[in-house]
Amino acid sequence: MAPPLLLLLLALPLAGALLVFALPQGDATRVRSVAALVAGAQLLFTLLCWRLPPADLHLAWVPKLGLELELGLDGLSLPLQLLVALLSTMAILAAPANQARPRLFFALLLATNLGVSGAFLARNALLFVLAFELVLIPTTLLVAIWGGERRAGAAIRFLVYGSVSGLSLLAAVLALGWFNANGFGFGFNQLAAADLSPTAQRWILALLLLGFGLKLPIVPLHGWQPFTYAQAPTPVVMLLGGVVSKLGAYGLLRFAVGFLPDAWAAWSPWIAIAGAVSAVYGALNAIAQSDIRRLMAYSSLGHMGLLVLALAAATPMSLQGAVAQILAHGLIVALLFACVGLIERKTGTTAIPELSGLLNPLRGLPFTLGMLLLALMAAAGIPGLAAFPAELLVFEGSWTVFPKATLVSLIASGFTAVYAVRLFNRVGFGRLDNGRAHWPATGWSERAPALVLTLLVIAAGLWPTALTGWSGSATAALALRSQPLLSPSAPTVAIVPELLPS
Amino acid sequence: MTTPIAAVANCPSAPLIPPSQHPWAEVIHRLEAGGSMLPDTPENLMQIIGIYKAYAVPMDFYWRDLLYIAEQVFLDPLPAFKYFPSQEYLERPNAYAGEQSKLRLWRGGEQAHPELLAFMARGETTAMPKLLHHLWHDRINMEFAEACAQAMLWHQAMGGRFNDYLESEAYRANADRAIKAYFRRNPLMLGLYQAFPEMFLEKVKQLSYYANLGLFWEVMAPVFFEMSDIYDEGGFQGVPDAMNFLVKGIFAVAGRPIYHHVFIDGECIEIIPKAEGFTWLYEAALPYVEAVFYRTSPFRGTKSYNAQAGQVPSHQADFHYGILYADVYPVGSAGIPPTLLMQDMVHFLPPYLKELYKQHRRGEQDQLIQLGITFQRSMYNVTSAVIQALRAALFYPLDDTDPEHLLANRRFFEGQMDRFLRPEARLGAIQSQDYR
Repeated sequence: MAPPLLLLLLALPLAGALLVFALPQGDATRVRSVAALVAGAQLLFTLLCWRLPPADLHLAWVPKLGLELELGLDGLSLPLQLLVALLSTMAILAAPANQARPRLFFALLLATNLGVSGAFLARNALLFVLAFELVLIPTTLLVAIWGGERRAGAAIRFLVYGSVSGLSLLAAVLALGWFNANGFGFGFNQLAAADLSPTAQRWILALLLLGFGLKLPIVPLHGWQPFTYAQAPTPVVMLLGGVVSKLGAYGLLRFAVGFLPDAWAAWSPWIAIAGAVSAVYGALNAIAQSDIRRLMAYSSLGHMGLLVLALAAATPMSLQGAVAQILAHGLIVALLFACVGLIERKTGTTAIPELSGLLNPLRGLPFTLGMLLLALMAAAGIPGLAAFPAELLVFEGSWTVFPKATLVSLIASGFTAVYAVRLFNRVGFGRLDNGRAHWPATGWSERAPALVLTLLVIAAGLWPTALTGWSGSATAALALRSQPLLSPSAPTVAIVPELLPS
Repeated sequence: MTTPIAAVANCPSAPLIPPSQHPWAEVIHRLEAGGSMLPDTPENLMQIIGIYKAYAVPMDFYWRDLLYIAEQVFLDPLPAFKYFPSQEYLERPNAYAGEQSKLRLWRGGEQAHPELLAFMARGETTAMPKLLHHLWHDRINMEFAEACAQAMLWHQAMGGRFNDYLESEAYRANADRAIKAYFRRNPLMLGLYQAFPEMFLEKVKQLSYYANLGLFWEVMAPVFFEMSDIYDEGGFQGVPDAMNFLVKGIFAVAGRPIYHHVFIDGECIEIIPKAEGFTWLYEAALPYVEAVFYRTSPFRGTKSYNAQAGQVPSHQADFHYGILYADVYPVGSAGIPPTLLMQDMVHFLPPYLKELYKQHRRGEQDQLIQLGITFQRSMYNVTSAVIQALRAALFYPLDDTDPEHLLANRRFFEGQMDRFLRPEARLGAIQSQDYR
């Protein structure tokens, strides 16, 4: 396929954002429809890329700086780009029909899509940084303008953490290019063959861990997440949890594991510990929450811990599990927030103590609660749903390398069932509040985004190849350790003492 | 020194007694003025009359089938067809309605209501054999009527002599005769009766309450039909009119007999003879109101949840799960508004009530809840009629000029209202039209 297809994936959200912003004032539903059409078209073209893989695109942009328009899709980026296009469409459709200031809102959502897509399509590190930084602007504005009562604080915190993340990443990427003994440049191919001193590798990895760890996030870099997830509007939090945070995971896989394999292998025991700590910390905090959004935020933090563990293990299976976990968690967290958004829109709250009896078939939200239950079951790793094959791969792939951290993470994963059951029991059962239950039933158009995600979560659980089939060869190439039972030919990296963190 | 009452009495324009200080003083003053616990609004009148009509149609089936079970099915060990009353019972003339009735008090036909017969033929689905309607659950839910009769048996001591009679030797002898006659060609069951006589006797007691409730509803069904007709003719001017119609009806049938006869091979065995003198008001109506409107029991489906939540009182007399207390919102969490009764009534809603429900909340989607709340309002009105009837029977007229008499009435009303001080009581909710 001709290279313009890759450009089209970026041009669509850019043109769409401008078009939406230029639409006449008035009907919010029409603005939403146009935005959804744009995102839907991007989804179709991404699927086309899957069927007819396009060649990489390389255009000069600012050669003196090493900034080139290098775009490409491989086994790592294609499934993530699909996720971006899908969740953008669903997030746009999940916005209320009477969305306030719709032109700016949907334009910023498309701008977020542009940034994330640009990052996943980039084959040049500087281009990646540019796209990565771009994401911060529309998401901050979306939180600041359309967020909850404490949106100002949430937006500022999000901006501060995001800025530190961006600066760290910029510094790391510049160092990657500058300290490469094989020559100056930021192309991925060039960086993959970079020759860096152990000291440079250590510092760059530290910066990458800070930059991407803030984005994921991971303990102790998660300060922005619960607050922002609690305040951001539903479509925004669907994108934040579903795809924006996945930039961190993708970045660690692409930059840290891919470009600094020796340093990563040396630091991986500590990274695995951080992952296990995140998994436990996230799960225990989720159990203690009294607000559904904050519960989801900590749940997400816990699942990101599993992802980091898999990346740390860096076996073929664990890396495949990591990509599967990115996809599965992206779908599940978007579904969870879509359901929570519906509950909030109807009941006016996400406070768990204020909600009960929502399963009431006549005056409750039984359909929404049904989807929420399925999403919670999926998050808990119930077989037959999307997270099960992903977590299975993560645990099996990590067990041979970090058995203790894996065991701890496995126990933490079990806690997911605790907060899932607790939440559902409190919110779904019991007495429906007479004073509150005056909301209208959810319509099919409102349910549609969550319903589509529900079907995908089921489909991915029944057909796990949908999660793992994309990335098998790409992740195998990045694996740093062998998985004795499955791929005896995979490399095993020897730890260089100089690379250990000082 | 002048007493406050006398001081008030000396003033011709002032009330004869001071205002009540009871938390439900507003309702008490309304009752003292001849009103109902339900506020007098045109919409309330429309709601209660409409639901009386929707209630009366299934009730016309309930009373026929209850009597059929009590008198004909009796102790059938496999009563698979007890919800299929015979044609004789479907055509059984109502003793209190219709031209041919010797005891005629109300207008209307003496046979089963045409809407009931039409529903039995087609149901919600289509015309098909009644067994298929039954298995598809496309039918009148007799389970509700049975639950009411069982609640009356279970709560037992609610005034009157009926329950005491069930413990008497005379009743035991009559029941023994009926049991032996019923199983005279069934040695296995007779052997079981010899081994476990109390079990059989208990079942007969339950059937006596079936007969009791069947006879009670035989009276109530035509009352509600006639109220609906009068409303359609523009006859009732307000909620108190509807309540007073019920009060007059209660007195009109108060002395009608309550009995239990069983027909075995054409022979009538009188388990509770009419000659015992049990009467409609004291042996059926009042126990029914107490057992069903006030007490009942936690819904069977959620009983264990209620128990775990500490919501089941240790004393049976403290049970308050009836329609006057029921939370209609949760699925079957209370004894009587029971989803089954709502499902029965929804088939017979008058058009004006359907239209009303369409205009509120989720329209047709949640009309089961809306009509459940309407039913709750209507039963507050029925309970008001019972309270006014008791006041008339036991105390003084509302227009009595003796302050002592009015104070006696006041104490009676306040005592009745004390039962609605419980937080579960819906008396406060029905004061507002927004409660739907």
